[in-house]
Amino acid sequence: MTGRRAEAAVVLEAIPSSILSFEDFIGSLAFLSPRERSRLKVAGGEILDNIVKHATPVDSGRIRARASRRGDSILLGFYFRSPSFAAFAAGLVGGAESASAEPLFDPARRRWRGIGLLMCRNLASRVVFRPGESMDRIFLEFEGGK
Amino acid sequence: MTQLDISVRNDHHRLVLSVSGPINSYTFTDFQEKVYKAIAQSDAAVDMERVTALSSAGIGVIMTAMEDAETTGHGFVIVNPSEIVRLALDSTGFGDRFPIVKTLKQA
Repeated sequence: MTGRRAEAAVVLEAIPSSILSFEDFIGSLAFLSPRERSRLKVAGGEILDNIVKHATPVDSGRIRARASRRGDSILLGFYFRSPSFAAFAAGLVGGAESASAEPLFDPARRRWRGIGLLMCRNLASRVVFRPGESMDRIFLEFEGGK
Repeated sequence: MTQLDISVRNDHHRLVLSVSGPINSYTFTDFQEKVYKAIAQSDAAVDMERVTALSSAGIGVIMTAMEDAETTGHGFVIVNPSEIVRLALDSTGFGDRFPIVKTLKQA
């Protein structure tokens, strides 16, 4: 697939139901294989869910998602602006030393926590958070063909 | 946009939940409610052949259901998971711990 270039983008509202639109968007990407779409859908869904939960209020109320392929490299980017996301993202992308390596059970809510972080780390070859004055960005890099 | 659909039926001694659509952060509460209710009553099998997405929230429900099954003495299995369900379970790093069978007869 070397030399193959393609990209697509979607603008999502910063609300929980946008996960459905995101899944539809990824499902429509003809330049990815079914397996590649599944990896982006699962890992990207976890990132979007965390942006909606932890970056609220997102300035303008919008999140832009962009998927691109350059040969065997696939990039999924999320673009938004939030004054409150940086602290959370430090734990999300900061490596094993900054977050629990194992999921933890929250008995009060009967919920497991930390699973999404593990999933992103295992599905993507790299997860990068780049905060900025006018725009925050999260990139997930995937190896194509897997 | 695709919504989650869950049907429940009796199959001899157990409840079978047939799930279609995405189990994600927006839809998982319906999945959670029906799975927890089923495992509290009897053995339960969750047919995931037509599941189109599985998030960490959905995996958390499955993990809690596995613990509830141990506590209550009921059986709990995942039946014929779709490719994306297998990918999501494997992506946790402990995919081999989930009770997966290919068919209901194997449950």
